Amino acid sequence: MNGLHGIIFSYEQEPGLRELVEHRMPASVPFGGRYRVVDFMLSNLHAAGITDVGVVLHGNYQSLLDHLGNGKTWDMARKYGGLRLLPPFADNRTYRGGVFRGKLEALAGVRSYLEDIRQDHVVLSDSDLIINLPLADVLSAHLERGADITAVCTASGAFVDNATYFTLAPDGSITQVWCAPTAPRGHRSLELYVLSRELLLSLVDECAAQEKYSFRRDVLAGMCGKLRLQSYVWDGYAAQLRSVREYYERSMELLRPSIRAELFAPARPILAKEDDEASSYLAPGSHVKNSLIADGCTIEGSVENCILFPGVTVERGVELRDAILFKGTRVRDGVTLRHVITDKYVEVLPGRTLIGHESYPIVVSKGSIV
Amino acid sequence: MKKECIAMLLAGGQGSRLYVLTENMAKPAVPFGGKFRIIDFPLSNCANSGIDTIGVLTQYRPLELNRYIGNGQPWDLDRADGGVHILPPYQSAGGATWFKGTANAIYQNIGFVDMYEPDYVLILSGDHIYKMDYAALLAHHKHTHADCTIAVMEVPWDEASRFGIMNVDSEDTITEFEEKPKEPKSNLASMGIYIFTWKKLREYLIADEKDPASSNDFGKNIIPAMLGAGEKLSAYRFEGYWKDVGTLDSLWDANMDMLAQGSGLNLLDKDWPIYARVESEPPAYLDETAEVAHSVITRGTVVEGGVHNSVLSQCCTVAEGAQVEYSILMPGAVVERGAKVSYAILGERARVGENARVGASPEDTPPEDWGITVVGPEAEVKAGHVLGADRMLNREGKETVR
Repeated sequence: MNGLHGIIFSYEQEPGLRELVEHRMPASVPFGGRYRVVDFMLSNLHAAGITDVGVVLHGNYQSLLDHLGNGKTWDMARKYGGLRLLPPFADNRTYRGGVFRGKLEALAGVRSYLEDIRQDHVVLSDSDLIINLPLADVLSAHLERGADITAVCTASGAFVDNATYFTLAPDGSITQVWCAPTAPRGHRSLELYVLSRELLLSLVDECAAQEKYSFRRDVLAGMCGKLRLQSYVWDGYAAQLRSVREYYERSMELLRPSIRAELFAPARPILAKEDDEASSYLAPGSHVKNSLIADGCTIEGSVENCILFPGVTVERGVELRDAILFKGTRVRDGVTLRHVITDKYVEVLPGRTLIGHESYPIVVSKGSIV
Repeated sequence: MKKECIAMLLAGGQGSRLYVLTENMAKPAVPFGGKFRIIDFPLSNCANSGIDTIGVLTQYRPLELNRYIGNGQPWDLDRADGGVHILPPYQSAGGATWFKGTANAIYQNIGFVDMYEPDYVLILSGDHIYKMDYAALLAHHKHTHADCTIAVMEVPWDEASRFGIMNVDSEDTITEFEEKPKEPKSNLASMGIYIFTWKKLREYLIADEKDPASSNDFGKNIIPAMLGAGEKLSAYRFEGYWKDVGTLDSLWDANMDMLAQGSGLNLLDKDWPIYARVESEPPAYLDETAEVAHSVITRGTVVEGGVHNSVLSQCCTVAEGAQVEYSILMPGAVVERGAKVSYAILGERARVGENARVGASPEDTPPEDWGITVVGPEAEVKAGHVLGADRMLNREGKETVR
C-alpha cells in the first residue's frame, strides 16, 4: 500500500473570483477547456497511486458534489477507503455555524476520520491549485530529509492574494513564514503540505485545546523553530486561482505548447468526468487560430486566442478574441467578444459586443442572456 | 432476475472487407466518426432505449473489443443486475466449437438468455451506424402480436438487389423474404435488427441446430423456416440514417456523412447521445498556422497544417505544412511536416512521414485506378514515400492494391 493519504480543503470562498463562484466553490470552477479546478489535485493524487482521499467541504458545495460523484473518474470508488466527502457536521463546538476559520478547525471537525487514516503520511492541499506535481517525489524528499512538515512552494515572484511566503535557508529548510504579506516575500507556498498522520493528529489536538485554528499562522509560523520545516521547490507551472485576473492570465498561458506539455504530461494524465460530447465541427468559412477547442462545439465564425469548453456554439459572423467560453455557451450571429469569460449556458444574442480588458476581463454569469 | 427484453449483439465478425483495418481487431471495435467506435451505436441505442442487459458475442480477435467494453460503464451498462456481458465461444462436454453462423452463436448461448427469462430477445449486429429507439420496435412487436419483427427501411429501387428484401402485405406482415433478389418486388430492406419472442426463437434455434444442411444463419435459415411454418413476421419501418459500414468505401462514406448537412447523421444531437470510452485528454489545439474547415476534430488533437473535409479522431497530429483533405484520421494518427493525405483512411497510430504523399484526388487519377487509400493501424509511410490511390499499407510495411 502507498503511504500517502490525501486531504483536500474546499471550504474557503474566494471573492476575487467574482461571478465564477456565484454558484459554486472555487474547487468546481471550470478550467482548461474541460476540467474543474479540483480535477488537477485529484489527478495528482491518482498519479501517485493514492486511493484514499478526504474532501473537507463547507459552503455552496452542490456543484462540487455533482462533479465528484463517487470518485470513479479518479479510480477512487473503492471498496475500502476511496474518496470520502466530509461535509460540516452539525457540531457547534467546532464550527459555530459559520465558515471554518482555518485548516486546523476544519480538521478538528473531522477528527474521527483522521484517526481512521490507514496511511502513515498525509498530504494536505487547497482546492484552488492547478498543478501537475509528482507527489511521490515530494514524499521521498520528505522522508529523505527527515522533515516534520514539507511545504511545496514556488520561486515564481507573481503576487497572489492572501498567499503564504517562506524565507528559505540554503539547505532548503524554512526559516521564516509570512502570512498574507502585501508584497511577495521569497518563495510562495502552494499550500500543499506533507506530514505524518501522528504529527497531524497531535497538532489538531494541541491547537484545538489552545483555541488555535490557522495552520500557517499557528503551526508554520508559530512553531517554525520547534518543527523541522522543509521546502520542496516546484519550478514548473502552478496556478493558485484567487482572482479573475489570475484565472484569466493562467488560462491563457495554456495556449503555449510548453505549458500544456507540462500540465498535461502524458505520464501523469489529468482525469476529468466524461462529457459525452461528440467531436467538434468546424464549418466551411470558419477561422480558428491559437485556440483550445473541447468536444461538442460547432464553429462557424472566427476564433482567435480562445478556450472553448464542450458544447459551445459560435455562429456565423462572430468574432471571438482572447475569450474563454464555458460549457454550452451560445454566441449568435455577428457577436464580437474580447477579453470575456462566459460561464455555463450563457447566450449572447445577435449583434452584441462585449469588450473587456486583460486587466479586467468581463465575466458573464451562468445562464445569463446578453 | 427476469427481464422483459434483453439484447444479443453479434460482434464476432472479422470484417474481412475492411482489410488492413481489421487485421488485428474485430470490426465493431473499428473507430468511427471521430470519437466513437462502431459498437458504440448499438450499445448507446440500448442504453437510450432502456435495455440494460446485453450479451456481446465475440469471436474474431476479441482483445481490443473486450478491453473497450470493459465493465460497460461509459454506456451506463455497469449494472448490479444485468449489464453488458462478453460471451466468447466456450468449450462444452461435447468439445469446443466456433460460432458456425449468427443463429448458432445465439444457440450456443441459450443458457445465458434463459438466465434472464426474457419474453423477447433483440438481435443486433455490430457493423451499422444508426440511432434507433428499440423501445418503439418492441412496442410494435407486442402490438402486432408477431413472433418476429424485422426492422426494415426503404432503399432506392436500383440498390434493392444488394439487400435482403421483405415483401409485405397491407399491414406490413412479411409474406416473403428474398436474399439479394435479381428482380426485387419491394424496396424494403432488412436492417439486420430483429426482435423475437424468445420462446419461439428458442424452438427454431434448437430445430435449426439439428439440421446438418443448415448454415445456422438468421437470414438464410431461421427467418425462412419461420415464414415457411406460418409464424407471424412483421416489418417495422425505420426512417432515419442507417449505414452498413462493412466495406472501406462505406466506412469512408459514413464518416463523410458527418460533414454533410443533409445526410441525417447528426452526432452532436443531444436528444439521443452516443456514448464512448475515451481517454481523458486536453481539448484539441489549433495553432497560428492551422487552417481547418468543414471538418471534425476531437480532443487531444493538435493541428498546425491544413485540414479540409476530414474527420480527425482524438490525439491526431497534423504538423506544419501538412495537408489533409477528404480523409479519416483514426485515433493517434500522425501526419508529419509537408506530407499530403487525400481521400485516405489512416488507421490508429498510423504515421505519414515528412513530405510523403498518401492517396490522390479522383480529379487527378484515371477512374479505373482511383480508390480510397488505406494506411493500416500502426503502419508507417516513410518520409518522402508515395502511397498512391487505391492502395493499402499494413503495419509490416506490406503494400497492396485493394
